Amino acid sequence: MLPHNATAVVARNETWTGKSASEPYECGWAREAIVFLRALDAPRRIGRTRARIEISPDGLRWVPSGASFAMPTRRDQVAFAPVSHFGNWLRVAVDLPRGASAKVLVTIHMKA
Amino acid sequence: MSDMLRDLRLADPALSRFDPMRRIICLDDFDRGFCGWTQLVGNYEHTLDSMNPSYQQHTQPQLSTVTHWDNGTHGGWDGTYALKVQTRPRKGARNVAIKRLTFRRPCPIRLEFYFTFKPEATELRLSETDVRSVGFLYDLQDPAEGGHRVMPHIRFLNALDGKHLQKWQFKRVTTEVKPLGTEGKTVTHDHLAPDGWEDLPGGHQKLCYNEIPTKVNWHYARFDFDLAAMRMLEFQCNDRVYDLSGVGPIVMPAMRNLWCMLNIAFFAETDADKRALSYIDSVCLSGEF
Repeated sequence: MLPHNATAVVARNETWTGKSASEPYECGWAREAIVFLRALDAPRRIGRTRARIEISPDGLRWVPSGASFAMPTRRDQVAFAPVSHFGNWLRVAVDLPRGASAKVLVTIHMKA
Repeated sequence: MSDMLRDLRLADPALSRFDPMRRIICLDDFDRGFCGWTQLVGNYEHTLDSMNPSYQQHTQPQLSTVTHWDNGTHGGWDGTYALKVQTRPRKGARNVAIKRLTFRRPCPIRLEFYFTFKPEATELRLSETDVRSVGFLYDLQDPAEGGHRVMPHIRFLNALDGKHLQKWQFKRVTTEVKPLGTEGKTVTHDHLAPDGWEDLPGGHQKLCYNEIPTKVNWHYARFDFDLAAMRMLEFQCNDRVYDLSGVGPIVMPAMRNLWCMLNIAFFAETDADKRALSYIDSVCLSGEF
């Protein structure tokens, strides 16, 4: 059987401000994942903010995995981070500065 | 159905927990992956902003090990994985997973599945009224001009505004069908809007739930529907059987692009500001042809 490979859209057309995160996604079946974040509109006052990939022991409590990427600063710009050894849950989190916002599409691409 | 066919199925552990009609259309065991189940995305044209807000909240279903912080992995009915439909953590939020098929013969069909549900275990208390409902629906359309789009909906209303109600309901109304965009090709309506649910006669049913929010028990469900008459026939959950001959679906004029549509969807709604988690393992769709 071919290995499993799936894409999950975990945030679609969401405007992120302040402390924002994608919904918890359970994907412990996957050995690796790449998380993409696309800016659907021109982000506002993003600066050099970095988003971080977070992992969780239970889907409730979150810690940074160490992987991160610079938030897009232009419309349709795509940022990404590969991640492995993530246990059973993944999410993307970012702390945007005051006055900053980004309308995002976040997708997780997983391979078993 | 011949005795040989019945006996062969009874000898197969994957099938003997179901009572399928003659032809198995699909048998979805989530240890094999998503099996065609995806998120119900709302319609839009030109911009995602045109999507009905009630659909904006939908997210991808998940292959879940039903794992809890205090007792580890529960697993599925058998094997490791179940399909999880997870709402956002906001009272009244919902999520929907869908499988999109078409049918080749208008005939009786049978949907069978095992399900369970629980709230996100964010508190050290039972939280048995935090899940509002779990349910399922078909989205169907007649094969020919002059027919109808038909959408039978069934849900288990577990709780509403903190009251533990535990009853089955059905729905015959949707919201106004509104055009989207400028090309005259796309419309939207919210058939899962909170209004219009009706109690299934005799539909109170106390389902097994456990003493803390990190234990679940699986339930069996069976739903019989006739694609020729576009009528609901019968529903069973565990030991209870409900006659649906007097119960109607949502009916609307046929749409120009949905002929022979056979969509199946599972949904969950939360009654608290925490995520509702609905699990399915596994699903058997069969038909009498």
